Parts: sequence; structure tokens; C-alpha cells
Amino acid sequence: MKEYLPFLVIGITAGSVYGLAAVGLVLTYKTSGIFNFAHGAQAALAAYLMFEFHERMGMPWPVGMLLSLLLAGVLAGLLLERVAYGLASVGTAARVAATVGLLVAIQGGLVVAFGSATLAMRIYLPTSIVRLPGVNVRMDQLIVTVFVLVAVVGLYLFFTRTKLGLSMQAVVDDPALLGLQSINPVRVRRFAWLIGSSFAAISGMVLAPTLGLDAFLLTLLVFYAYGAAAVGRFSSLPITYVGGLVIGVAAALLTKFLNTSGPIASLPATLPFLVLFGALLVVPKHHLVERGSQAVRRPLAPLSFSRRTKVIGLAAAAVVAAAIPEVVGTKLPLFTTALAFTVLFASLSLLVRMSGQVSLCQMAFAAVGATTAARAVGAGLPFPLAVLLGGLVAIPIGALLAIPAIRLSGVYLAIATFGFGLLVQRLFFSSFLMFGKSSYVVAPRPKLGGVPVHTDTGYYFVVLLATAGCLGLLALIRTSRMGRLLRAFADSPTALNAHGTNTTELKVLVFCTSAFLAGIGGALLAPVTGTATAVSFDLGVSLLLLAVLFVAGRQPLLSAGIASALYVIVPGYIDNAHVRQYTPIVFGVLAVVAAIYGGVPLLDRLGAARRLSRRSLERSRLRARAAAWGSRPAGSAPAPVLSEVTS
Amino acid sequence: MTQTLESFAIPSAGGVGPDLEVEGVTVRFGGLVAVADVSLVARGGTITGLIGPNGAGKTTTFNACTGLVSPAAGDVRLGGRSLAQHSPSWRARLGLGRTFQRMELFETLDVRENVALGREALLSGRRLTGRIFGSRTERRECLAAADAAIERCGIGHLAGAIAGDLSTGQSRLVELARALASGFRFLLLDEPSSGLDVGETEEFAAILRSVIADDGIGILLVEHDMALVRGTCSYIYVLDFGQLIYQGPAAEVLASDVVKAAYLGSEGEQ
Repeated sequence: MKEYLPFLVIGITAGSVYGLAAVGLVLTYKTSGIFNFAHGAQAALAAYLMFEFHERMGMPWPVGMLLSLLLAGVLAGLLLERVAYGLASVGTAARVAATVGLLVAIQGGLVVAFGSATLAMRIYLPTSIVRLPGVNVRMDQLIVTVFVLVAVVGLYLFFTRTKLGLSMQAVVDDPALLGLQSINPVRVRRFAWLIGSSFAAISGMVLAPTLGLDAFLLTLLVFYAYGAAAVGRFSSLPITYVGGLVIGVAAALLTKFLNTSGPIASLPATLPFLVLFGALLVVPKHHLVERGSQAVRRPLAPLSFSRRTKVIGLAAAAVVAAAIPEVVGTKLPLFTTALAFTVLFASLSLLVRMSGQVSLCQMAFAAVGATTAARAVGAGLPFPLAVLLGGLVAIPIGALLAIPAIRLSGVYLAIATFGFGLLVQRLFFSSFLMFGKSSYVVAPRPKLGGVPVHTDTGYYFVVLLATAGCLGLLALIRTSRMGRLLRAFADSPTALNAHGTNTTELKVLVFCTSAFLAGIGGALLAPVTGTATAVSFDLGVSLLLLAVLFVAGRQPLLSAGIASALYVIVPGYIDNAHVRQYTPIVFGVLAVVAAIYGGVPLLDRLGAARRLSRRSLERSRLRARAAAWGSRPAGSAPAPVLSEVTS
Repeated sequence: MTQTLESFAIPSAGGVGPDLEVEGVTVRFGGLVAVADVSLVARGGTITGLIGPNGAGKTTTFNACTGLVSPAAGDVRLGGRSLAQHSPSWRARLGLGRTFQRMELFETLDVRENVALGREALLSGRRLTGRIFGSRTERRECLAAADAAIERCGIGHLAGAIAGDLSTGQSRLVELARALASGFRFLLLDEPSSGLDVGETEEFAAILRSVIADDGIGILLVEHDMALVRGTCSYIYVLDFGQLIYQGPAAEVLASDVVKAAYLGSEGEQ
């Protein structure tokens, strides 16, 4: 028993920090209806800033901490409130894309500024040993645990005892009514974001010395908070805190208990996501009502082209595609990659643009497809069959994801797909079925008698054919009944259900189709380089896919091509490696802009709304935003929003 | 079972549609009893009113009929068949349709597509592959049903408009047309006149009267607008605080003091 005590101490300390981050996350979600996927990235930002101030610039640590708290907590919180205000009137997919875009941008920024290698950060809190009965505890562990406890209890009391705290509870439910009570909803929300962001920043600064400074790892660790938030049903602050503690302790004890290497060695690190996924599966559905989704501006109809435009466009695309190998020279593999990514983007577009759902785990499906196909070709299966098999094997995985998808909708589904992607990555990527211990699989190109399909040029045409096939399939779906039902589903699942379509089946169907396409995309992608590596199918890529797709306009098929060009070809032609590092930042920021304004100005022309004047758009946006958010008074005086109440 | 489904789902010209029977339905939300032991019968071929002040449990009764909430007790029958074990989409396939108080149109699609989807959604449940594609004949059937319903509701001039751009009055008509195109055998209409002006309400009443006269389907109407109720309903049930407090032929109910008291009470609060 005694040997477990040190692990208990580690668990409580870590769990406290997860709890703190989770409470901040739940607080902002409760008051604004925006689930901040960038919460973890904010924590990382704070840690790096503190490193800069304290270790590089030599400030005393309390000053460094305070400064980075001001920047990454307070200032970032105020900025986020503005972003959340902009997102109040948009649909779930756009909300998710925006905060995912922020995450991508912050992470990208940290890599540019500090490099991607892990930096060591000194422990700055006192580390003297405190003797407690049966166990030695370090001073810093004690400080962290007590500080978090005080912060959470304080917040809880503030919430239940003060007027501002109580009004925070009300602000999501009815901002207009709150406005009438002479409480300014905007002030309330600003305050919530300020606290929530500060909690994220503190948890990042506290975690960094033990973990090291690694933008990706820190971001991911605060994702541990998701598990805790799910335990608290994304609503209760005390339970969320306790959930964080339990996850921390359980993970630490499991580490001691398993004490092995092997497939279950990764279990402790995966535990929070198992908790998250499990909680999403068992929490009663009525507790998972999406917040702040009542007043959503109607999505814009995608542009539809005339038959003539389509024929001319397709012919032009065919000519360009055929000419590319002659024109681009050694850059050809770049274009082959872009074609494979077009299929991946198309699989995501089927969900996001055609049926209003979100997936943050497309690369997990792609990885399944890539490894399956690679191993099948290795075992002697003809290439086309192997690629098809890659897609087919991904289908049951997609169906597995559809289990939470049946229960969940909106942001909870997005979170579930995120947890699912991480589970697949952590538990199965290293298994012999997928990438194995070596983290890569050889992915041979096709062989076809004397025809040189294995050369760069030959393989380009193979992928071109397959991509055309996949896009053709998608176009067929779009014009078939399934496409119509999906568009109807995106607009009003309730009405579709009331008219006799089983929307659950429809959801399963669309997730399976999307997984199939993603599997094929992955199977086509790997042979470009000849190996499928686990890193290139990382969850981070799934997040980037969503951000980039949002930048690429609304037209479901065209946007896949545009997104792929933006994501693969543009950076591929930037020869300066330093400049190239900036591309994730650009994509992230553009995704936020696209999510708020319904499109990125120039690119949007390619998939613009039809028959809607700018003014009518602006009006509907303002109306929806006012209803969701309460009016934003010009001065400091709270303005009752009478027009909203009487109309 | 399939046979019954088909015979319900496809309108039979001239015949009188099935009755909707609600028997002893109780709906609880946590500790709150939203609907307490409500029983009513709405006959096919007639319009039955369900009235009552705000919060009386009218929409909850609708939701219990269509399966959006599961009642703690009671049964709902359409044409004598219990619907209790069926999902909302299955109930729709059995012929029970509804509209929504807060309109639920497919806002990015045009009006004709909206209305056609009413029928198409119903067809999608017929075969296993029906969710993915339908035959050309079925597509023609959907569009023909849509055009007929659009004609009946007098919104032919809006057929190409995007549903999200329409006014409330126009949207209500589109929602009705969509339900008519589906070929439902019984319709639940949830406050179809809210947001309509006097002229539009009269127009709406005329359409409803022609629908029951031509198709013989039954309609259960939740409504606040007494002009519409008076102009269409033959029998009326009154709900207050989740309980049926009065029922009878339209004229009798509308003249009743109990009903006036219930309404005056609620208006006094407002």
C-alpha cells in the first residue's frame, strides 16, 4: 500500500491542474456556448511566455508569471470574448472550426517563435520536502494542490453567492432578459472568458516544468481537461474539478500498477480520453443539450453551377491535370499528394458541407486505410483491390464512431470524434495491425506488367484516376436521394425525422461513407513517399484539415480541391523553410475569419451564396447575433434590449 | 406490416382517413407533470381543435403523439393501431404528420425542393437502399406531389424561392404544403396561424377546409387564433395546466365560461 502513496501524490497534483483547466473550459462554455478547443493551446502559450520572461530575459519568476498571465490569460481572454461574440450566430461546424483554427494558429506561432524541439523549463516553485505521515511531498506539489483547491472553491462561492456569479449562470439562457435586469450580459461574458483563460494559462505554467516545453504535448495535456469536463457534464464546476482529480489519480496509479511495457503501457495516458468517450456514451442525453445554439443564423446555400459551366470546368480541369506532369517537373509528387488530400478533404466535406456534421478524426480513418492497403499490397493483393480494401476496412471503424454520433450532436459530437481519433492513435497506431513498433509501414506503388505505373508520373495518373472516381462518387451522392436527405438533415433534422426519414440511420450512413473515402485517401497518400508513417496521420493533421476546409469556401466538391491546393501545393512552392512555418498560422487565422464571416472574402467568391444581397445577409447575421448574445452597448451603461423582447 | 404501411402512407381519394386516439397520456419532465392523463379522439375527415393558454401542454401532447417525448403512461393510436412502440420516423411512415410551432423548414433549399422532400423523406424508409437512392419514378412522384401541394396552398409563385428568404406567413404555407405532399393520413398542426395577418389566416383556413373535404384526412389543430378555430374546427378540446378541462362541439366550447376563464387568466398574466 505504502508504495502507492508517492503515485497518489503525483496524481493529486496533476489531477488538480487538469481540474483547474477543465473548470476554466466549462466556465467559458457555460457562459458563451462556445467550446474552446484552443484552451490547451492557450495553456501552452502561457508556459512559453513565462519561459521567455523568466529564463531567457531573467525576470524573477513571479513577475514572469504575472506578465504571461496578463498576456495569455487576461488579454487573450478579452480577445476570445470578441471571437466568441462573432461566433454567436454561426452553426456548430463553424464554431468548432474557429476554435480549432485558433489552436492551430497558436501552436504554429509557438513553433515559429521557439522551434519544435522540447525545451526544458526549470522548476521555479520551492522544492523542499514536506514530511507527511507515510509519504514525502514536495513543496511545489503542495502549493499547486492548495492553490487550485482555493481557486475552485472561490469560484464556486462566487458563482453561488454573488450577483455577478448568479448572472453568469443566466447569461446563456436569456441574455435579453439579463439586459432588462440592468446587468450587462457582455460584461458578464467578458469576465467569464477572463477567468477561464487565466485558469488555462495558470495550468500551462504549472505543468510546463514537469513536462518540458512542447507546444503539442502541452496542448494535448490540457485536453485531459476534456475528460474532466465530460464527467462534470460540461456544466457542473465542482464535479468537473473532482473529475480532474480522479483522472489524475487514476492515471498515476495505473502507471504504478501496470509498470510494464507492452500494448497497455499507453493506457494511463489514454485514460482521460477513455473517460471522455465513456462519459459521452453514458451521460443522459438531456444533460448534453448544446448551449447557445438556439439562435443560429441560417447557413448560406452553396453556389450551384449551370450544366454548361460544369462541362467547361471539368474539361479544363482534365486538360490541366493531364498537362501537370509535363509542366511541374520534379514537383510532381507534390501534386500527387495534393490529389490524395483532395480525397481526404472530400471525405470531410461530405460531413461538414453536405450534412452539417463535424469530424476531428479523419486522419485516423486515413491511417487505417493506408496501413491496410500497404500491408495488402505487401501480401500480394493487386493495388486497386488493396486501396478499395483500405476504404472498406475503415467503414466499420466509421460505424464505431457512429455509436456516439447517434446520441450526440453538435459540439459534443465534435468532442467525441476528437476523443475517438486520439484513442485510435494512442491504442492502435503502434499495434501490429497498423504502423507497428517501428511507426511506419512500407507502402509499395502498384505494378502492372510493362506499364510504368510505379514511376512518379505513372503513379500520378493512378491517383488522378482514383481521385476522379471518389469525387464522382461524391457528386453522385450529392445529386441522389442521400444528398438531398443530407442537405435537409443539415437544415432541420427534426423536420426530416418528422417526415419519415430515420435520421439515426442517415448519420451512420454518412459517417461510414466518409470513413470509406478517408480510408481510400490514406491508401493513395502513403505510396507517394513509399512509406506510411504514424506521424503523418497525426491528430493534429485532422485538426488542420478542418481549419483549411473552412477557408476553402462552401461548395462541397470544389472546396475539397481548393483546400488541398492551399494545404499541399502552396506550402510546397515556398522554398524558404522559415516562411513555410507560417502557413499553419495563416490557415488558423483564416479559419477563424471564415467561420465568423461565413467565408474568406476572395476565396468565397468561388462558393458564394446565391441570390442574397449583402445587406440581407448582414441583417440576418445581426439579428441572430443579438438574439444569441444580447446587444452590445456602445458605452459602459447597460442597455436593455427591448426590441428583442417585444418583437 | 408493410402492407399497412403502404396503405396508410398513400392517400386514398375520397375515403375518410383514420382517427387519432390519445388515451390516458401522461408526460413528466422530472417532477413536473406537463400533461396529466389526457384522452382525446380526433376523427378522420374533420378538424379537431386543441386549445388552451400558454404552457397548458398542447405542444407536449403533440410531441407525445409523434414520439418526440415518451409519455410516462398512456397510448396513442392511429386508425386503431398503437403507435407507442414506434420511433418518430416510423410513426410518420404510418401516416402521422406534423408541423412545428417554431417552423422547421429546410432553409437553404428552394420551396419546391422543400415540399418534394416531404414525400422523399417518407419514401426513404421503404427499402434498405431507399436512404441512398430512389428510382426515377419515385423522383417524378415526389416532384408531382410537390407541385400538386404547392398548387393547393397557392404558393406556385414561390416555388423557386429559397425557403430561408420567405416571410412567416409564406413559410407556414410551405410547411403545410410539405406535409400535404407527404400524403400523411393525419396531420398535427402546431399554431399554424402565429405570425400570420388576418387575411393570411383566412386563406389558411380555406386551404385546411379544402384539404379535409378533398382528402378526408383528419387534422388536430393547436391554435391561439380563435378566428381560425371557429372557422375550421368541428370539435374542440381545452387543456389547462396539463389537464383536459372542457370538450365539446366548437360553438359550445367557444361560448363556455370555463374556457373564457382559462384564457382570461392567462392573458391577465401577460
